[in-house]
Amino acid sequence: MDGSSWGQGSAWMARLHDASAHALYLHVPFCVRKCAYCDFASRATQANDPLMAAYVGALRQQMREAHELGLLDGIQTAYVGGGTPTLVGASLLASLVGDVRELAPGVAELSCEANPDSLGDEVLQTLVRSGATRVSIGVQSLNDAELQALGRVHDARTACERVRAAVASGLDVSCDLMCATPCQDDASWQSTLAQVAGLAVGHASVYPLQLEEGTPLGERWADEGPAWNDPEVQARRMEAAAAVLGDSGYVRYEVASYAREGKVCRHNQAYWTGRPYLGLGVAASSMLTREGYQRLRRACVQLPVIDDDVSRVRLTVASGAQDIAREPALEALRFDIELLDEAQAAAEDLMLGMRLSAGVGPELLGHARSTLGEARVDGAIASCVERDLAAWDGERLEPTHDGWLLGNELYGTLWDLAPGEVREASA
Amino acid sequence: MSTYDTSHIRNFSIVAHIDHGKSTISDRILELTHTVDERDMESQLLDTMDIERERGITIKSNAVRVAYDADDGETYQFNLIDTPGHVDFTYEVSRSLAACEGAVLVVDATQGVEAQTVSNALLAMDANLDIVPAINKIDLPSAEPERVRAEIEETLAVPGEDAVCVSGKTGEGIHDLLESIVFLVSPPEGDAEAPLKALILDSYFDAYRGVVATVRVFDGIIKPGDTLYMMQADSSFLVDDVGVKRPMETPLPQLGVGEVGYVVTGLKDPAAVRVGDTLTYDERRCPEPLPGYREAKPMVFTGIFPIDNKEYENLRDALEKLRVNDPSLTWSPETSVALGFGFRVGFLGLLHMEVVKERLEREFDLDLIATSPSVDYHVYTTSGEMLEVKSPQDLPRPERIARIEEPFLKASVIVPPAYMGAVIQLVIEHRGIQDNMVYLSENSVEITFHIPLAELILDFFDQLKSRTKGYASLDYEFDDYRPSELVKLDILLAGEEVDALSFIVHKDKAYPLARGLCDKLKEIIPRQQFEVPIQGAIGNKIIARSTVKAVRKDVLAKCYGGDISRKRKLLEKQKEGKRRMKSIGSVEVPQEAFLAVLKVDDE
Repeated sequence: MDGSSWGQGSAWMARLHDASAHALYLHVPFCVRKCAYCDFASRATQANDPLMAAYVGALRQQMREAHELGLLDGIQTAYVGGGTPTLVGASLLASLVGDVRELAPGVAELSCEANPDSLGDEVLQTLVRSGATRVSIGVQSLNDAELQALGRVHDARTACERVRAAVASGLDVSCDLMCATPCQDDASWQSTLAQVAGLAVGHASVYPLQLEEGTPLGERWADEGPAWNDPEVQARRMEAAAAVLGDSGYVRYEVASYAREGKVCRHNQAYWTGRPYLGLGVAASSMLTREGYQRLRRACVQLPVIDDDVSRVRLTVASGAQDIAREPALEALRFDIELLDEAQAAAEDLMLGMRLSAGVGPELLGHARSTLGEARVDGAIASCVERDLAAWDGERLEPTHDGWLLGNELYGTLWDLAPGEVREASA
Repeated sequence: MSTYDTSHIRNFSIVAHIDHGKSTISDRILELTHTVDERDMESQLLDTMDIERERGITIKSNAVRVAYDADDGETYQFNLIDTPGHVDFTYEVSRSLAACEGAVLVVDATQGVEAQTVSNALLAMDANLDIVPAINKIDLPSAEPERVRAEIEETLAVPGEDAVCVSGKTGEGIHDLLESIVFLVSPPEGDAEAPLKALILDSYFDAYRGVVATVRVFDGIIKPGDTLYMMQADSSFLVDDVGVKRPMETPLPQLGVGEVGYVVTGLKDPAAVRVGDTLTYDERRCPEPLPGYREAKPMVFTGIFPIDNKEYENLRDALEKLRVNDPSLTWSPETSVALGFGFRVGFLGLLHMEVVKERLEREFDLDLIATSPSVDYHVYTTSGEMLEVKSPQDLPRPERIARIEEPFLKASVIVPPAYMGAVIQLVIEHRGIQDNMVYLSENSVEITFHIPLAELILDFFDQLKSRTKGYASLDYEFDDYRPSELVKLDILLAGEEVDALSFIVHKDKAYPLARGLCDKLKEIIPRQQFEVPIQGAIGNKIIARSTVKAVRKDVLAKCYGGDISRKRKLLEKQKEGKRRMKSIGSVEVPQEAFLAVLKVDDE
């Protein structure tokens, strides 16, 4: 171990002891209808469902509690996701976003997820006024046949029109796009990509459709391995996205994320760079340091005492929307809990860091070498380099083209460094 | 000469073609002699192994004593030595016959004389036994006892008038059969005063009493407390107990001249007692041992590997335990890159192989994988050596081979004339050479031919049965070694040879086999990060090829806060899957792939 490794390692260590979270996530689990591929925590409902008001009220109360616990002190980004947050309507949305602004004054980026069909002018104006800076729109495709096959509510014309309105409103705009879907071909995908680039959005996220158990598409197709979702097709579409978006000035900064200059989503980056985050709402996940967990435990007496060697706690809310609306207090929440020791946390950070085009730098590598063992870390890296999944760029280890496409190989090799099993608990 | 009276002892075996009803007749005899109560009668009482009962065949012989009150007013001691009926077990049959003076030759009244009827009759005649023919299943509507009686006389040269008509099912004629045994089978002869001379017919291991041997006494008397000497094994033991099976074990004060019974040796090492060995007194030894048996020569070899390599020791222990009463079982350690540590095991035939494998899995609770069966090839090298090659792995490089000889069988099929063409076709397809064809009667033809054993063990028997609608019967014996144009077919994954998937085959069959294997493997081997060529090769020559395309994309693209645990678990599952893979060079192959490919070969 040389001195510089220690120095760089301890720089990374700082974030492992942040008592406050760095990013705040709020989950709004309501949708007009459930899409055919979706296995997210969401429920189909009507725009006037009284549960929505009660639920949003509960989230606001939980934010206040978190604020009192000091968990929001260091928050720099926030993300209101779903479901379809815009479905709750302008006034509820305004109250939620307004509270984020008030309780977490350090927030520099505040995103809200939206679907084209519920992103009316009123909602857009509300977002701007209440302090949101960014909207992420679930466009998925600009081809009507594809949209229909996915069970989406909107059509391509509406999507284009709403994206333009969002851009015009002054918000930073991101579009979510989906490839390897039914009815899609190389040409229709090219066309969607080109049109989205033409809409002058700052950011795009591109995912191959994943056939999930329990979803209508999954039930229909998972056993067959349909040609439209073949890994070869997925690879080709991901490559097409990189090419078309790259040509239009978007830089791929994560396996599925593209941004024009200055438009990177800082909130999502927190997930991949070991920053603690607090998630509130149905199925929302938090990742807290040992210190952050102790703060949360002051309110949440239901949470277990943790062993001395636990350095990272991931909590996922297990309570449903109605439970939360009925009993908003943090101490009433149920959680699924994972407890990682320092070595496991380091392996997790390596695994996540390699999703970024910037890869992992000397700070994390130094820290990983000192916690996981220099020989093991270097051995795993050498194996990735040898398989052409990763390459060195100066002091940084970055994913290669194969590393993008065969991410599971790359991430798996790095996660394998984690000793023992991750402890689990529930409360 | 002592006055020891053997005139009321009859030692006999029952021999038959498979399914002609040998075991049912044994059961009836036990019932009629009141050895077993009718209500306790379990069908096929002598077949004690689970597998024997399930398959309705006798694999291990069994010796039972019954008392028969004959019509002449005398009581006779019958020692009934059951024999297996399948062609693989000729060896066991000859073992049983060595302990007898007579043989009941059972022939099915509907099927007539079949291939193994002939071979069993010849074995009995070779052993100088008195033959009692019995025509069984006369209760069936299609029974033709008179035709069969004529066939027995014509084809076997056994007096047809001696044949007793019986039904193992109804019990009809069994009394007459027992009377014929009394009159036709000679009583044993021997000297009670002479040094002990007894043959070990069989043995089994009992956890409490050690090795228990089944013996036939020729001269002398065995009593508990005697110290006996095993001439071949060159070791001694103290007799703990003697007795007979009726069919439950019944202790007796002694076993005398001509008697068949068991001896409890107390020996704790299963391998200490050899079947076929001669027992004599330790103090007073007989000058010459009994002839023993023709040594059973394993004909079929296969690699047997535990699916979980931790079971290697258990597999070895299990094989050792099986060998106690199956001395024909042989093995040597074998290592495979693909399958780990295991054994190359030799068997008398295919059925023997199946039965042993099934016993290992069932009685010892092992999960096993068996490679494709092979035979014992004689390989003559360019330097003039002769190598015995039982595994494709041991075959030298083609340039070192001058020629290869393979075991040929002399086989005979007895079949109704309508299926003659089908049988000849099958024989040709399996590289057989027809020898002769004889009409045994109007309804049956015997076709004799030479055929490589390697062809017979593949699928010959199943094909024979299906192409003749089950009418054909097969018998075979080893004949000689003959040169053949054999090659070693290797399968290469990304250029690496897979040892478990090598075969020694005739050159004309190598091409279709190679193509089949390459196509099958392409389906089974999961996509890797790189393209994996699968090649079938003879030496350096590639004769078939297929390709597993490289996996292009394997990544869960979406990974935000809530996805991380799931993502990690997915990676762990993926790793667990890899742990169960075997690495062949740089290619990860699931063990199921070997199972599937080796199974294909059976079909």
